[in-house]
Amino acid sequence: MELVYSIAIGVLVGSGVWLLLRPRTFQVLMGLVLLSYATNLFIFGMGRLSMHVPPIIDEAAPDPARYADPVPQALVLTAIVIGFATTALYLVMLLALRGLTGTDHVDGREPDR
Amino acid sequence: MQLELIVLLPFLGSLCAAFFPSNARNAEAWLSGIVAAVCAVLVASLYGDVAGGGVVRTRIDWLPQLGVDFYLRMDGYAWLFAMLVTFVGTLVVIYSRYYMSPSDPVPRFFAFLMAFMGAMLGMVLSGNLIQLVVFWELTSLTSFMLIAYWYHRPDARRGARMAAIVTVAGGLCLLAGVLMLGQMVGSYDLDDVLQAGDAIRAHPWYAPMLVLVLLGAFTKSAQFPFHFWLPQAMAAPTPVSAYLHSATMVKAGVFLLARLWPALASTELWFWLVCGAGAASLLVGAFSATFQRDMKGVLAYSTMSHLGLITMLCGMGTELGLIAAVFHMMNHATFKASLFMATGVVDHETGTRDLKRLNGLRHAMPLTAAVAIVAAGAMAGVPLLNGFLSKEMFLEESIVAGGVSGLRFTFPALATLGSLFSVAYSLRFIHEVFFGPSTVHELPRQPHDPARMLVPSALLVGACLLVGTLPARTVGPLLETAAIAILGPVLPEYRLAVWHGFTAPLLMSLAATTGGVALYVYLYRRRMTLIRTPFLSRFDSKRMFDVANVAATRGASRLGRVLFSRRLQTQLLLIVGFAIGAGYLPLLAGGYSPGAAPLTPLDPLFALLWIGGVACAIGAAHQAKFHRLAALIMIGGAGLVTVLTFAWFSAPDLALTQIAVEVVTTVLFLLGLRWLPRRLQLDDPRRRTVRARARRTRDAVFAAAAGIGAGLLTFAVLTRPGSSTLAEFFLESSLPEGDGRNVVNVILVDFRGFDTLGEITVVGIVAITVYALLRRFRPAPDSIDVPRAQREDAARAALQEHTADALPRDYMRLPAVLVRLLFPMAWLVSLYLLLRGHNAPGGGFVGGLVMATAIIVQYMVSGTIWIESRLRVHPQVLIALGLLAAGLTGVAAWLARQPLLTSLTLDLHLPVVGDVHLSTVLLFDLGVYLLVIGGTVLMLIALAHQSLRSPRRVHAPEHAPEPRHEAEGAAG
Amino acid sequence: MNALLQHLPVLPIVIPLLAGAAMLLFSESKRTIRVTLAVASMTAQLATALTLLYLTSDFAPDVWTEGIGVYAIGNWPAPFGILLVVDRLSALMLTLGAAVSLTTIVYSIARWDRPGQPFHSLLQFLAMGLNGAFLTGDLFNLFVFFEVLLAASYGLVLRGLGTTRVREGLHYITVNLVASFLFLIGVAIIYGIVGTLNMADLARRFPGLDPADRSLFDAGAAILGIAFLVKAAAWPLNFWLPAAYSAAAAPVAAAFTMLTKLGVYAALRVGTLMSEDQAAASMLGSTLFYVGLATLLAGTVGMLAAQHLPRLVSHTVIVSTGILLAALGLGMEALTAPVLFYLITSVLTTATFFMLTGMTERTRVMATVATPSPPPEPPTPFYVAFGVREPDPYSTDDEVGIAIPRAVAFLGLAFVCCVLLVTGLPPLPGFVAKFAMLATALAEAPHAGAVWSFTAAVLVTGFVGLAALTRVGIRLFWTVTARATPRLRVVEAAPVAILVLAALWLGAEAGPVMEYLETAAQSLHDPQSYIRAVLTPHLGPLHEGP
Repeated sequence: MELVYSIAIGVLVGSGVWLLLRPRTFQVLMGLVLLSYATNLFIFGMGRLSMHVPPIIDEAAPDPARYADPVPQALVLTAIVIGFATTALYLVMLLALRGLTGTDHVDGREPDR
Repeated sequence: MQLELIVLLPFLGSLCAAFFPSNARNAEAWLSGIVAAVCAVLVASLYGDVAGGGVVRTRIDWLPQLGVDFYLRMDGYAWLFAMLVTFVGTLVVIYSRYYMSPSDPVPRFFAFLMAFMGAMLGMVLSGNLIQLVVFWELTSLTSFMLIAYWYHRPDARRGARMAAIVTVAGGLCLLAGVLMLGQMVGSYDLDDVLQAGDAIRAHPWYAPMLVLVLLGAFTKSAQFPFHFWLPQAMAAPTPVSAYLHSATMVKAGVFLLARLWPALASTELWFWLVCGAGAASLLVGAFSATFQRDMKGVLAYSTMSHLGLITMLCGMGTELGLIAAVFHMMNHATFKASLFMATGVVDHETGTRDLKRLNGLRHAMPLTAAVAIVAAGAMAGVPLLNGFLSKEMFLEESIVAGGVSGLRFTFPALATLGSLFSVAYSLRFIHEVFFGPSTVHELPRQPHDPARMLVPSALLVGACLLVGTLPARTVGPLLETAAIAILGPVLPEYRLAVWHGFTAPLLMSLAATTGGVALYVYLYRRRMTLIRTPFLSRFDSKRMFDVANVAATRGASRLGRVLFSRRLQTQLLLIVGFAIGAGYLPLLAGGYSPGAAPLTPLDPLFALLWIGGVACAIGAAHQAKFHRLAALIMIGGAGLVTVLTFAWFSAPDLALTQIAVEVVTTVLFLLGLRWLPRRLQLDDPRRRTVRARARRTRDAVFAAAAGIGAGLLTFAVLTRPGSSTLAEFFLESSLPEGDGRNVVNVILVDFRGFDTLGEITVVGIVAITVYALLRRFRPAPDSIDVPRAQREDAARAALQEHTADALPRDYMRLPAVLVRLLFPMAWLVSLYLLLRGHNAPGGGFVGGLVMATAIIVQYMVSGTIWIESRLRVHPQVLIALGLLAAGLTGVAAWLARQPLLTSLTLDLHLPVVGDVHLSTVLLFDLGVYLLVIGGTVLMLIALAHQSLRSPRRVHAPEHAPEPRHEAEGAAG
Repeated sequence: MNALLQHLPVLPIVIPLLAGAAMLLFSESKRTIRVTLAVASMTAQLATALTLLYLTSDFAPDVWTEGIGVYAIGNWPAPFGILLVVDRLSALMLTLGAAVSLTTIVYSIARWDRPGQPFHSLLQFLAMGLNGAFLTGDLFNLFVFFEVLLAASYGLVLRGLGTTRVREGLHYITVNLVASFLFLIGVAIIYGIVGTLNMADLARRFPGLDPADRSLFDAGAAILGIAFLVKAAAWPLNFWLPAAYSAAAAPVAAAFTMLTKLGVYAALRVGTLMSEDQAAASMLGSTLFYVGLATLLAGTVGMLAAQHLPRLVSHTVIVSTGILLAALGLGMEALTAPVLFYLITSVLTTATFFMLTGMTERTRVMATVATPSPPPEPPTPFYVAFGVREPDPYSTDDEVGIAIPRAVAFLGLAFVCCVLLVTGLPPLPGFVAKFAMLATALAEAPHAGAVWSFTAAVLVTGFVGLAALTRVGIRLFWTVTARATPRLRVVEAAPVAILVLAALWLGAEAGPVMEYLETAAQSLHDPQSYIRAVLTPHLGPLHEGP
């Protein structure tokens, strides 16, 4: 499992970075989205992987070993929310830039080459 | 106390002067004159204390940690200079009163003049080298302002800037030198430094320190090769030239040389550097002065050469040389200032300073002529004038020093040559202006002798005569006091007298005088008096400066374009690259090893899942450019796999939240896609250029490196045993202390509620930003018209008008009705999620998102107009309320004298409902809920509205280029 | 200790949050209310910050042990809950930030806070983020506050829109988003290895890691460091800064001057906490030094290259970052106080300079604002929906207040002061700061090549700055084809004057100020005291149960 998980994150990061370095705003946006997935999975993984033990207490005196580490999950939730907000902002930025400059190149002008 | 007053008064005066009305010439003059005079009196009154080697000190603590205090120290030498500054200053003020025209805005002039006087006095009286540097730079600054007084004239601007740059650069060198000196001596106090002479000369840093200090002195005193700023500075009003650029400021350099003489002087290096620069300046200056057309030009170059003479005297390293140097500083100040004033008078009266146009003025302005002639005589070193005495001493010393240094003949020869030229240009100066056929009628103005305006200059000339005839009586004691201050109580044998008998110096000066006269006569006969300077005019250091200046700027902007690329890709590449490096290096250094914890057995289904996920990610990366919709779908796929992964590894909350976010984000994207330019995949030749390929390979390498790095890090951590030191606490105290079963939610709203507070603030901020952005949104020209799909629909509909089986017209009605029915349900669901959040997966955020989705779905199916006619959402209000609710909930804890966000619980027993357990945590989550609804809806609606307003838009920014649809994006 | 005093450390975060939120309730027409709220809240923050400055100082030794105040949010003890930590350094930064923001707000009243943008709310949120970042003692919470202030800064940098702003804004946002990802990854790794988020706890635990874990931890820390360097605008990660700052409206740029310093603050804080571990400290030090030197030189070139004042000033920001990083990189404890002194002066100066830019370059600014706006259209449902009036594209700045006489003289004087302050020339405190740094460094290590290269670089950059600024200044003030002299309002002139005077006061009172900074430096270089203060349970009355 761990191996698959790591490879998955690796691929997400890889394709995210690739898109990040592309010249079109939409590509960059997609790259950011992929990277946010990767980051979330990464943070989540820092709590190690464990199945069928959601951190939802069902007894009075819980045995910590029987539950997944809740801290990373909380952090990821915060990260997801912030990521959502920034993604939305970025989308609108890209539209505004497109509207003002007429191109969707990240530098606001077509490469003159 | 007196010392502070001396330094302070001028600055106060300058402050007052600045606030006078701009035409108050007399008031300004009176104020400044009185200030200067008072300072002069104060200085004079201290003579008793400094005579015979006494020193007056005052010290005010300022920065004791670094051994820098405000420390004023007046000894004989400083006294002499302070006297000079204040006395000449007074005269210059009087003179300026008549020189400045009523139309000039005088407050600026007098304010800066006073400030300069203060700075100069501070410099002279500094008992601390750092403080000396401070005032030193201050004089440069004020001189900049004064040179540029008539800033509407380009030459004034250029001259000012050049002077400032050169002198400030020198000042910084001086600062560096002084810092070293401070380290070498262990103190910046002048007393200590002067004591430590031998230690300094023995110190390994001596050479570099000396060079730096000398750079400072030479730039300030316009010594070769830094002299070029002085002639340019002549663009200043003449009083300024008289005061700053002949009498005082340019003397600062030589002042420093003499000041530090006991500490630095009398080494080989000192001798060669100082004498070398001095001799070069002496000759270059004198020679160039002989061929200037502008009266002030002549004086400027002659100033340079006389300063060179003084520098030489300092450099010789003999005590008599030093005394001569101090003596000549005074003499030069007197006659050069008076000459400048006379020049100013001529300029003021005739309206020109051009030697070519001026001729035979002695008829029109006899008094001026008389004054100028005497002063010029002093400059040339004619007997019975003060210039003669110091020149004699100079010549004598040149013989002595020449003997010491092994330049027995060169040295005296140089000295004689210098004074020869000075005779020549003095003669020329007088003869061209005041003698010869009168050309008065051709001049811009008809000149007369302005009696009052001549007074200051006449006084100075009087001083020249007095000193020249009775040196021992007049200047003798003062000079001695100054010399003692520098050299200590025992002075070498020297006699101030006009007649020393037939000595070598006398012969040399005779030779110089005759030679000078002969030279001028020769030049005059050959009509060579008005040619451009031979040889030297080719090395126009002014033009070199400009060229260097422009070159520097050009080079910098070229370099700047490289150092600060304007392209986003470059920047991102760098950041990613650095991050990769930062990630890998420690692993390379410290070694990488996966942990020992047992791996969880691989579930093929999970593997399959991620095969899909990976395919989606890569596909998206590949398609994002030309098939946006496809890319979007695949991204969604990857997101879905992520969601499932969360669910798989026991994080239901994450799964729930992520899916909700997915939905909303997708809707946003779909709303936004419509505004992007269509891009058709064509076989673009530019995509196949070597360059494009190289770029793509490079990026691929970076991407791969980043991916592998991330993978490695993840694997390394995953295979290590769990390390969390917090989980235990949270799991155990969640139910008893946070009374919630869903630990994640308890962490979010209680343990780490502060994070959540910040996080929802972010959402709110972004929402209002998006809204502000979209208010001014202007779609691009080519995406204004109705989208292609809709056009085709319309066409089809039109086509089907007359066919028998027309499709039902508004096919959205049925879903609309359904959704409207669903709306309250959605509402309930969202509330349910909010309320159960504390004990089961859910919470304010998810609930809010569900609600928002419901609203936006309404918009989709029923159309904006319909919705807003019935249901008016006020997103901004919701945002505000949400934030306030969350924040105030936190503050409420204060009432219980508890820190922010401490959860307060309250058990009610209601008749019907039964026991109700209320907690402020719920209120907090409610705030989250409201804010998320508000924020999300605000963004969605704002975006959705664009389609409503856009078709009416026809205007586009004029400068927007029509985007090239086909064959776009070489950089892809 | 009375209730208010008890909650003092959290006020700098709560006040702007509530104020900013409350402003959103009022429609844009109610400008007066918003302004009043803004000014009131910022004044309150300044007062709070000053009180904290006093409480942490030696004058009030009995309030907090070792002058370090700790506030446990939600009353959860460290390391589990989030703690706010006030020491001298953070108090100092709070004060500085509040002062700059307050003057910025006053300045912006004159003409910059037109309806159409939630300007004042954003400024409040920006202040909230800044204060939070300065106060928090929790690594992830630091991230959250970084996001808060970044989100606000996104909104602010776009203020007034226009093609340039949107383009540069996009760059700014992209870069910062990437930096945020790095931040998250770094924090995540650190948590994954050490298993805690509380800074003090981290500082205590990480030296004990075994080598294998340690290299992973270092990787995480390094990635985190990159994120900080991006925020601190270290070359070559700062291409976004000159563009964004010079494109932003004057008051926005002024308010931003604290942002880069936040990165420096983070470096200083983390660096001193890491100083427990010699190797890590020296590693960090040398890196900082070379990065700082590179930044300094690049900024110098940039200054020389810049043709317009705003861009030039942006480059001076870079230069100051470079000087700060390099000085910290020298790793001398004695140097910390002078460095802080320089930090203060440079913040005050650059803020003033940006405000000044707004006045001198007014014509230019107006032009860029006007370009993107086509003629007004009939009201669209958009505005009906949100119940706001359509922004009038041609609305020129509605000017408030009385004009001051001798506008040009004032501008010129202020300009000269700024030039002297920025270039560190005598007699203004800029010089004091530079001299203090150089003298101390030389005294500490008179034979170190690094010190000498630093000295040379600092002097050279000062000189180049002067050359560039005189060029631009002459063109601005003295060319005959001078643009129409702008009419100055007292409200916008006063902040400039106040800031300049504050700087001058610093110079005059250099001695006492330096003393305070030395005490701050001492406590900073004794990380144990910080760790003690945070991790010792039951500190003062805050923790007594309900």
